[in-house]
Amino acid sequence: MSLIYRRRANQPSFTHVINDYFGEIKPFSKRIGKWYFYIPLIIMKTIEWSIYRWYKTPIRRFYGVKGNELIYMITKRCNEKCPKCGIWKTPEPDNEHIDISIFLNCLKMLNENLYQVTITGGEPLLLAEDVLKIAEESRKHEILLLTFTNGVLITEDFLKRYAALNHKLVISIDTIDESKWTDFRGKATFEKVMENIKLSKQYLGRNLQIQSVIASESEKEIDSIQSFCKDLVVLHTTQRYLDFGGVWNNPINTPKTTSNDVACAARKNIIIYPNGDVVKCFDHRRILRAKEPLGNIEKEDIIQILCKKRATEVSKIMKTCNFPCKEMACNVPEIIYN
Amino acid sequence: MSFLIIPCYIKTKWDIDCITRLLESVQNQTLKFEKVLVIDDFSPFEYQLNFFNIEHIRLSENGGPAKARNIGIDKALSENAKHIFFIDHDCILDLQWNEQMTNFLESTEFAAVGGMTFSYGKTLYDYYHDINGTLNGKWLLPDKKELWYMPSLNFGIKAFVAEEFVFDERFPTAAGEDVDLCLRMRSKYKIGFCPKAKLWHDFGYKSTLTGFKRFVNLFKKYKSSSATLYDGHTVLLWDNSESIYSGNAYEFNI
Repeated sequence: MSLIYRRRANQPSFTHVINDYFGEIKPFSKRIGKWYFYIPLIIMKTIEWSIYRWYKTPIRRFYGVKGNELIYMITKRCNEKCPKCGIWKTPEPDNEHIDISIFLNCLKMLNENLYQVTITGGEPLLLAEDVLKIAEESRKHEILLLTFTNGVLITEDFLKRYAALNHKLVISIDTIDESKWTDFRGKATFEKVMENIKLSKQYLGRNLQIQSVIASESEKEIDSIQSFCKDLVVLHTTQRYLDFGGVWNNPINTPKTTSNDVACAARKNIIIYPNGDVVKCFDHRRILRAKEPLGNIEKEDIIQILCKKRATEVSKIMKTCNFPCKEMACNVPEIIYN
Repeated sequence: MSFLIIPCYIKTKWDIDCITRLLESVQNQTLKFEKVLVIDDFSPFEYQLNFFNIEHIRLSENGGPAKARNIGIDKALSENAKHIFFIDHDCILDLQWNEQMTNFLESTEFAAVGGMTFSYGKTLYDYYHDINGTLNGKWLLPDKKELWYMPSLNFGIKAFVAEEFVFDERFPTAAGEDVDLCLRMRSKYKIGFCPKAKLWHDFGYKSTLTGFKRFVNLFKKYKSSSATLYDGHTVLLWDNSESIYSGNAYEFNI
């Protein structure tokens, strides 16, 4: 018996129910040896089928839902030097960067379980061709792709191809004040990014989003960014600053951006680092028994990695971890828009 | 060196009768077990088992069948077991069960084995479970050469597998923990099917007229276990499979 009845969230449900029912009943009915048992046994099989299909237990919420987000930190390299982030300080050497085909294979294997693929970095558009390959593969499987960028390397050609695949692009900005820009980014790219935001809006429409980090250094900028986004008709999200090697500070009086108190990452996230290492949370190094990656997709099959006993153990540990990153976008079931 | 692990939670006289009947069938095996471990999961019922070569371990608190089996696995490994078999207390073994399971593990590359389970009772529900394959394993399709999973009431593993994979103790009842183990185990090893290793499982239906509630509750329990099962696996690639049923025992190609 198949324990999943709707493998795709948008599967036509009525015909699927009918097909599923007869798919169960038909082979079973052939095994009934005596004609007078036929009706009672078919009724019993229908009861069993109905229990598996309709009896409401916590698992119901997972039926028909693609429950996992595949997050790919495509590179640690970056063309800017933002003080809020320390990832650019440790760019991966060439020999520690997996071939894009390995990631695409991983995406293919997991596609039935994914509701979203997210590309982050570093600066993903340093590898724009690879991003487009992932975008094409995601579209083939009808999975939404979100690419996070600092907006500097966006080109018209990239936008044309990306927009045709109907995925989302998130540009990260923490100020629209040109005098503060260089301090926030480490480079004078204000004009270029502002120009690219407008160009992106033109090509992507509602598929463009802007994201800002709320830190004590940037919290006064948020209102003006929100007004800017409102004028431009672009969705804006905020995220509290968290220490990923940066030198900014946590905001003192800013309320939480979400009320999420559940660590969802363990259940939903599958994170791949540039070298192919698989973890369930970017913050795994803070968790004593989850420091080491679960495996590496260059050396092992992703399914094999996720079926390891250690994967189960790490999930278990992470469900009860109480780090502030619980409210980050990658850890909540839905993105909260301002 | 084959060890048999029987987790049990004795609540009623019926459970005592079941385990007594099972241990009689264990004693009469054509190939004897090196040791039989009965792991009592803190039963509320006081009882004695007067059988030879059986170690009766009483746990100090109730932890579920997965924990009981893991305690048995630790014990078996510490005594250099080569094969570890699992059955439930409400089963009855065929005389050749151990011989067939042991021969299968010794003569094949499979790291684990599942046998053929029949219903013990004679009600319509029992007949239903026989042709439905409720407590039998499921084929890995399309080849039907190995199993997708095998319920732990008729199951055996080689010792090196037990050193690597054990039951997940978060499963509170006897449902889902065996599927979870098999899913994890299959990332590395294969599970074979041995139709000649037969046992009978007593579902406990007193009659066709009075057994309906028990029948419904059984499937509700299995459905509920799926929630825990999902939690244990980030990726659960449930796929279409096909139950082994009583008719498979007579198929020529198996």
